[in-house]
Amino acid sequence: MRLKIRTLVFAAIASLGTTATVAGDEPYHENYPQAHIDPARGVNGDIGFSDTLPFWRTEAELERNAKWVGDPNEQWKLNWKFMDLDRVDLHPGHLAVDEGEAMAAKLAKRNPAFLACLADGGKKLDGLAAGYPKYDKALDRIVTVESRIEQCAKTVLNEEIRQGTPPNNKISVYFKSLSAGTPIKVDIGDGKVMESYRRGEQLFYKKTGQLNFACASCHVPGSIMGHKLRGETPTTPFADAAHYPTYRTPIGALESLQERFARCLGQMRTAQIKPGDPAFTDLEVFMTVLSNDYPVSVPSAR
Amino acid sequence: MKSISANCRAALAALFLTTAGQAGAQAPAPDYSAYPCLSYTLDCGKLATRKPQVKMLEGTLNGNAEKGKQLAQARNNGNCLACHVMKGGSQPGTRGPDLSHYGSAGRSDAETYTAIHDMRTRNPDTLMPPFGTNGILSDPEIRDIVAFLQASK
Ligand code: HEC
Ligand code: HEC
Repeated sequence: MRLKIRTLVFAAIASLGTTATVAGDEPYHENYPQAHIDPARGVNGDIGFSDTLPFWRTEAELERNAKWVGDPNEQWKLNWKFMDLDRVDLHPGHLAVDEGEAMAAKLAKRNPAFLACLADGGKKLDGLAAGYPKYDKALDRIVTVESRIEQCAKTVLNEEIRQGTPPNNKISVYFKSLSAGTPIKVDIGDGKVMESYRRGEQLFYKKTGQLNFACASCHVPGSIMGHKLRGETPTTPFADAAHYPTYRTPIGALESLQERFARCLGQMRTAQIKPGDPAFTDLEVFMTVLSNDYPVSVPSAR
Repeated sequence: MKSISANCRAALAALFLTTAGQAGAQAPAPDYSAYPCLSYTLDCGKLATRKPQVKMLEGTLNGNAEKGKQLAQARNNGNCLACHVMKGGSQPGTRGPDLSHYGSAGRSDAETYTAIHDMRTRNPDTLMPPFGTNGILSDPEIRDIVAFLQASK
């Protein structure tokens, strides 16, 4: 009996939070205490998480809460969703879609196999982006829209259109615009996708860098999320992946999701990794599953 | 779809204007590869986190409160203001406790020094960076900040 209680107490302490791991020869690591997220719930997992979803989920709700735009205390609850699609009709993200379309058409004219490669062997890109990231059997790896563009350009045209470069982002925002409004459906029934999701989840909670922050230090309830961090307020990670690549007003250019990760790494004073790095791909899978059932929302601006 | 109100649009226009100025030239990123990172392949991906370190204040404080104030506000330095309201400085953060009257709380220099050096020794789950352990602030810099906090009444 006594032993049992003691084990229970140990278990309780272990599950309470900090999660420093010191097992055998393993180096000492720290993780931010893990929030409970059920990947099957997709974007609805925000209920019971930040609970802001009801404020930004639909056009009608955004309209009702439009009074919060510009309010330093309340605006974070809108998850910036008031800047998606054609809710703002002036931003140059729309022009980028046109440019991306022209670029893709030009490349397809050089060799129609480029389009077929992007379209998984078919002819049309419509709706396809909503199923990314996904596991590609032939390549035996997880592909994102951006890595697909890079790979098709390389294999079909022998041209470098690297992830995280303006041409790749432009074609990507065009590709994704052909799924605008389509609910995101990352296939969590695929074992390889789920392995990647779990790795991405681990990374999300891993404390790194000089400041010893995890992504979760700013993006889960109880952390800095919803609190002011000088001029900014970190928001929920749910549905973020839906609006990338986004047009970033301060720099006047498109930014991919993985380039956004890199900026957060900078704030964390953590060594950089490049767009297309497997760790970023896993984080993208994790974050896109948190956007499942939420519509692809490009072009957007931030 | 275009239903967001005129109000909202005006606010958006204002937002674009206020963020537009922040671009600026980007300094080259400092090298943080001595700390754990997210890579599966780089060495930093396998680096251990520096363990919580109890460091005692040696001798008398000897800090310069004015210098401490600068350090606490500088974004590329202590940047305590990211999480705390403090005396002076703009756009304070709100996650940590208000420190603008810390000097009236009767805390010793020694405990304050140890906490800033590595808050994990007090709270293993803390969000506060281990300023001393991770080499963000040097010993004299932490002393200056302690002096600034103690002078905040
Ligand atoms: C020190 C706090 C902090 C940390 C740590 C942090 N972020 Fe952020 N992040 C922010 C802030 C502030 C923003 C801008 C406000 C917002 O949209 O949340 C942001 C924005 C983002 C966005 C864009 C959201 C959007 O609506 O476009 C993504 C994606 C993101 N972070 C992912 C990450 C990932 C992945 C990590 C870990 C590698 C991370 N963040 C770590 C503070 C942080
Ligand atoms: C990322 C957020 C963050 C930053 C940056 C930060 N702190 Fe903190 N600090 C906290 C939090 C949160 C607490 C509350 C205790 C806890 O959770 O560990 C705290 C607590 C404290 C306390 C204890 C207050 C008390 O009443 O006991 C002091 C002193 C302090 N911080 C000083 C500083 C100084 C000095 C700096 C800059 C060098 C700084 N903090 C930077 C988050 C932060």
